[in-house]
Amino acid sequence: MNELIKNAETINRLLARYGVKFGIYKNGEFKEQLFPFDPIPRIIKNGEYKFLEKGLKQRVNALNCFLSDIYGEKRLVRDGVIPEEFIYSAKGFLPPCDGVTPPKNIYSHISGIDLVQSKDNNWYILEDNLRVPSGASYPMIARELQRRSAPDAFSETGVVDNRNYADMLKEVMDYVNTGGINVILSPGRYNAAFFEHSYLAEKTGAVLTTGKEIVCENDNLYYIDYNEKKQRVGAVYRRISDEYLDPMTFYEESVIGIPHIFEAYKKGNVALLNAPGNGVADDKGIYYFVPKMIKYYLGEEAVLMNAPTYLPYYDNDMRYVLDNFDSLVIKDVAEAGGYGVVFGNSLTKEKKAEFISLLKSEPRRFIAQEVIDFYDLDILDTDGKRVPRKADLRAFVLSGSETKVWASGLTRFSRNPDSFIVNSSQGGGFKDTWVLSR
Amino acid sequence: MDIYVSNEVKYSVAEDNFGNRKLYGLIEETHDNFEVTVSGTAQTGLDIFEEYSAFPAAYSLLKVHTSLTAPGEKIREYHKNLELETCSGDYEKALRIMHTLHYTFIYDAGATKVHETAENALALGRGVCQDYAHIMLSLLRMEGIPARYVVGMMQGEGSSHAWAEALCNGYWYGFDPTNHKLVNDDYIRVSCGRDSGDCSVIRGSFYGCVTQKQTENVKVEERN
Repeated sequence: MNELIKNAETINRLLARYGVKFGIYKNGEFKEQLFPFDPIPRIIKNGEYKFLEKGLKQRVNALNCFLSDIYGEKRLVRDGVIPEEFIYSAKGFLPPCDGVTPPKNIYSHISGIDLVQSKDNNWYILEDNLRVPSGASYPMIARELQRRSAPDAFSETGVVDNRNYADMLKEVMDYVNTGGINVILSPGRYNAAFFEHSYLAEKTGAVLTTGKEIVCENDNLYYIDYNEKKQRVGAVYRRISDEYLDPMTFYEESVIGIPHIFEAYKKGNVALLNAPGNGVADDKGIYYFVPKMIKYYLGEEAVLMNAPTYLPYYDNDMRYVLDNFDSLVIKDVAEAGGYGVVFGNSLTKEKKAEFISLLKSEPRRFIAQEVIDFYDLDILDTDGKRVPRKADLRAFVLSGSETKVWASGLTRFSRNPDSFIVNSSQGGGFKDTWVLSR
Repeated sequence: MDIYVSNEVKYSVAEDNFGNRKLYGLIEETHDNFEVTVSGTAQTGLDIFEEYSAFPAAYSLLKVHTSLTAPGEKIREYHKNLELETCSGDYEKALRIMHTLHYTFIYDAGATKVHETAENALALGRGVCQDYAHIMLSLLRMEGIPARYVVGMMQGEGSSHAWAEALCNGYWYGFDPTNHKLVNDDYIRVSCGRDSGDCSVIRGSFYGCVTQKQTENVKVEERN
């Protein structure tokens, strides 16, 4: 461990050299900044990991069932488990996807499930990310560099080797591939996660493209290389959001998408990872219903708990929220990345009244949650002292021929001692996550 | 049906989730003109009212407002003044909406933009068939009546026409608030959807630094 701490600075320097950066938007300006790495790992014991693994697989399986049902038969709505308007008014529900079945009926191939641990050692699901969850590359490269700097640390402690992520990802791409090459579709060099796109392409052997080299012809997708050689594309791990994917189906002004890619997908001629339309399942309003989904589709009780959540849409919950406003955190369901999060006790009197009237006029737009007392993790501050900070864990769950959890994850922490928000788009740092083999 | 597409484009055929068929393709070469002509014979008047029997979830989407039909203050006020609660059923509500809208909204080809919202059009008090149809859809959906936007053609008009359809008592009825008419065999349906955005006659994009001009021509002749 001491070896790792000693090398922390070198590793951060190397990360900078490899271009491990995160782009953030602040006051409308794009800035690229380093994603600071902290050498003290989060350690998850084997038994605890087994429990998390079971819960994560169950959750992702249920979410995939939900997506297949919602864009198909809609049994869940018919049986009254979720009110109809929660589905159709969700921003992530994409009407063009209605009735479309993706290859092998998998919607969320790569799921990023955010968890936190409370002071009483319980794990809670914070949110599901089923659209284009990013972050796996950061612990991958950090581990790679650490193994080089202190190989003993890993053989002695019995840390599960996490170098299999690229293989897991490739397996999923190959499994859903409809015949052709695998590509990773990136919006380009200025995207916040461009490092990740290029790193994963390198590690999985998929072709990195920005879409300019891809055309759709006769309902098939082709990649045209620098020699003008045309190759059929069978799977696209796209790192472009749904709205920008196809200007002919979604946002017309998109210049980073591929015209007609959706038609090829709809006819079953190409796999898109993740499937378009997944946003309906990771909607913050739908989150509330996930334990009910697990019960409905799998007939099981949820292994992992949601953070206690209230839907102001229901009268009883609205009353509770108004009575306990100061102790709750309120989230705008349409926002992501730590934006649109309001802590009840942080508002001034006027702001609070203003917010409550907004809440009353648009109850569907918000959820309220109890503030979880995080179990803090130590980080090294600038002068080498250990200080506790809030942290969460993004677990990566991959769904191909079977659902697998990556025995690692992205542990993010807030560098600001008073902040609960750990999203990298808000300028936090990250740690390695060790899963112990015994 | 005859289809002519210029520039020797190889096109594919696809269908969207409202059952509309479309042709699509790509021109890789530089070009300064692109043209599509579709001609053929349509038979009308066989089944004016389509019976609806599909799984109810399939039309749930048509009860939900889109960004173009979402009601604002103006439409809410208009809706209140219609006193639709005094109607005896959905069909009568739709008739009253069509009737009132026809006599209070002014036809004006220059007043609204291509993708004007129903709320803005009503605030202006004038617009084209698309605006009539959007406002009517907005009001129908406020009543919880599944409603869809229809693009089609009529004899004697030089361009395409639009109207609204409402699902009443298990049947789809067409209402044309612009002309104050129930849709009959004078009308030829082309496409339908949640709003005009789903029913564009043509849509596309190109790379290049030029200004573009688009013209549309519709001709309908009666044959016996």
